[in-house]
Amino acid sequence: MFVLSFLLRRLLQGSLIILLVTFIIFTLLRVVPGDPARLIVGGMAPDEVVAMKAKELGLDRPIPVQFVSYLGTLATGDLGTSFVRPKSGASLGGAAFDDQTREERAKVLDLILATLPMTLQLAMVALVIALLVAVPLGTAGGLYPGRWPDKLALALGSLCVSTPNFWLGIVLTLFLSVKLKFLPAIGYRGFSYTILPAIVLAVEIVPFILRTLTVSVAQVMREEFIQLAPIRGLSRSRTIFSHALGNSAIPLINLLGVQLGMLLGGVLVIEFIFDYPGLGLLTINAVLQRDFPLIQGIAIFISVMFVAINILVDLIAMTIDPRLEY
Amino acid sequence: MEFNRRAFLKSSALAGVAVGLPVLNTAFFVDPAHAADGKALNFMSAENLTGNWDPSSHTTLAQINLESFVFGYLTRAPMRPDNPDELVMELATEMKLIDEHTLEFKLREGVTFHDGKPFTAEDVKATFEYASQPDRPAAWYPGTCEVEVVSDHVARIKTDKGGYPASLFWFLSAFLPIMSAKDVADPKTLSARPNGTGAFKFVRQDGNTTVLEAFDGFYLGKPTLPGINFNFVGDATTRTLALLNGEADLIERLEAEQVQSIEEAGGFKLNKAVSVENKYLWFRCSKAPFNDPRLRKAAAHAIDRTVLLDILGVSGHASKAWISPVKFGYVDTPNYPEFDPEECQRLLAEAGFPKGEGLPELEYITSVGFYPKTKEYGEVIAAMLQEQGFPVKLNVMEVAAWNERLYDRPGGGPGHMIDCGWSTGSPEPDLVLRTHFHSSSKRICGIEDKDLDAVLDKERNTLDPAARKAVIQNEVMPMLAEKVPSLSLFTSVFIHAMRNGLDGMYFYPNGMMDANKATLA
Repeated sequence: MFVLSFLLRRLLQGSLIILLVTFIIFTLLRVVPGDPARLIVGGMAPDEVVAMKAKELGLDRPIPVQFVSYLGTLATGDLGTSFVRPKSGASLGGAAFDDQTREERAKVLDLILATLPMTLQLAMVALVIALLVAVPLGTAGGLYPGRWPDKLALALGSLCVSTPNFWLGIVLTLFLSVKLKFLPAIGYRGFSYTILPAIVLAVEIVPFILRTLTVSVAQVMREEFIQLAPIRGLSRSRTIFSHALGNSAIPLINLLGVQLGMLLGGVLVIEFIFDYPGLGLLTINAVLQRDFPLIQGIAIFISVMFVAINILVDLIAMTIDPRLEY
Repeated sequence: MEFNRRAFLKSSALAGVAVGLPVLNTAFFVDPAHAADGKALNFMSAENLTGNWDPSSHTTLAQINLESFVFGYLTRAPMRPDNPDELVMELATEMKLIDEHTLEFKLREGVTFHDGKPFTAEDVKATFEYASQPDRPAAWYPGTCEVEVVSDHVARIKTDKGGYPASLFWFLSAFLPIMSAKDVADPKTLSARPNGTGAFKFVRQDGNTTVLEAFDGFYLGKPTLPGINFNFVGDATTRTLALLNGEADLIERLEAEQVQSIEEAGGFKLNKAVSVENKYLWFRCSKAPFNDPRLRKAAAHAIDRTVLLDILGVSGHASKAWISPVKFGYVDTPNYPEFDPEECQRLLAEAGFPKGEGLPELEYITSVGFYPKTKEYGEVIAAMLQEQGFPVKLNVMEVAAWNERLYDRPGGGPGHMIDCGWSTGSPEPDLVLRTHFHSSSKRICGIEDKDLDAVLDKERNTLDPAARKAVIQNEVMPMLAEKVPSLSLFTSVFIHAMRNGLDGMYFYPNGMMDANKATLA
């Protein structure tokens, strides 16, 4: 029963956030320079054709009116149709105003769903790499505060956090792909193309997991129930693995929820550098091409994902520690 | 289901292993990406396509390049600097000027389109009559024309109703892709996929990759390359890395630093060629203050173009005309406006703005991401103009936003000056001169000037090629130097980099390519 009321409350809050994000994105896209009507019909089209197209798309109406009608279509699950991309999903530009294939433009949701698995794959691999590095080191750092594992965790965290991802991407490609021919990069022709961008993305995530885990393990180790464990006859390893780690995981799980935002920010740059055909590359090209419905769709989709994952994270954390209340 | 922390830890560990398993497969780690023998050529293009495969629907360079693989042309113009006027016969075997308004093409027999339809004079008729319509956005044709089908393999282009000489199609024949009459009759099909007589046929669009494969029925025999993957990769560093690690076999639009990296890496070769593209500083001539030619000339005298060439390095070639040296009629214009601060000040004072006083803020728009070093030399030009008193504000935009502001509109295009290049795959000079400086077209600068119109009409209507060249060199160019609707900053040098194993490619000076004799080892 409590779970139900929790879910209902969080879903309501989440819907409000999504509505707000939708409104902000919708309004921003309409006040920044770049006339979508001219974009669709092309630079060489006469002004009357631009005005006609604006009327046809309803762009000449006041923003609140446009927003309400946009919400109406959104409610049916329709994120709209891309201004410039055809069904093949190709990146386009410079199309003509009497483009015969315009009605063949791709649905925003189809474009997102086609690229999302690629980004999820990248994010998952990055997360696994990050966890493989950060969990052992972060735990060791927390178990031996002030000693070398802690110092190593701090040093590695500082190094990772101060390395720009676009630089690391280029350098790793140069060494691992160009010089050593060890891993492929640029584009996507198989799973192996995910590894290099995932390493770069993992470098972005590692410092946060390291720091959180070091602090949280150290904190849990000072708790009474851990201090008293030897009296209960528990061995040190049993205490750590069965009691300390589980409790230290709660801040980490919360952090992973928040990290999603950073992951998505990271994939924008990384997918562009590696020409990795995921949601990040789609977003960058949509921005460069002023493909408003696509930008809007991606923003809304991401906010929905963000809200959903945060609810899920809270739910998991609550299951681990029922004392937590949200 | 009961969900406790033990179950959570257990299931998350299992999930980790499941996700991690493929990573542990060592086959993934020894997978160096290298194109091997018998594999398709991977080309990385700097620009995207339009999504409409009708060649008359766009002026997008990347798509023109792709069309050069897929479509056939009546002739081809190699445009070598030592012989810019040369034409090589392709779908035509002979062409002859019958009279002022009639140009006859004898056509090659035994040529078929990719859909199996034989190529005949009907296709030339359909292509020319459709693509020359004034509402076709590409507007490469000098005006409407009609085509008389004399026989299956003889076509006569007639321009009497269009009111211009048929000789204009002499060089243009190398730049107009020939479409199938069947497709022209069905615009939907024409837009949906390219269908030509070229060495490679369109298979599918796969995200940002256009997949082409060798055409069995190509009239010169099936090409050795089994296919071409034409990929759009917007970032020049990514393109360079892709060449270096073997993902790409051929890349384009490189900057000096990347050329250096590729040269140092070894195993690659470069093709540097003075292109058909000049880069211009366009003045918005249809609105104040650049509706005054004295101010345009003053601005031109404020710019030291040698500094721009230093910035561009290998990517630029000095220019003293409004067309590239590989175009018909190029000349080092004697009165070309050179860097001359004193003359600049004199003209400013004469126009009523001594030392630039009283001039409004002048917006200079440029793009970043497509052309090399635009931002860098844009800043230098802005500084040079400011030094002479022009209150210039540089506005650097990404390509889509810049593209949207590029063309002239009623009342003048956005800003006061804009940076842009113009590249057309034919030696025909009117693809630049008439397109931009005649009041019937005035694409970017918006100039309307009776004297210029008169001299451009005279040039177009002169039938004898030698006499026409003389009009261009002795009358058109000097007048442009007086009116300065735009300033040609330099001619671009197109740089292609490729693997050493790629042989037999021909690169046209506008970026178009011919791969029908290419081999990839």
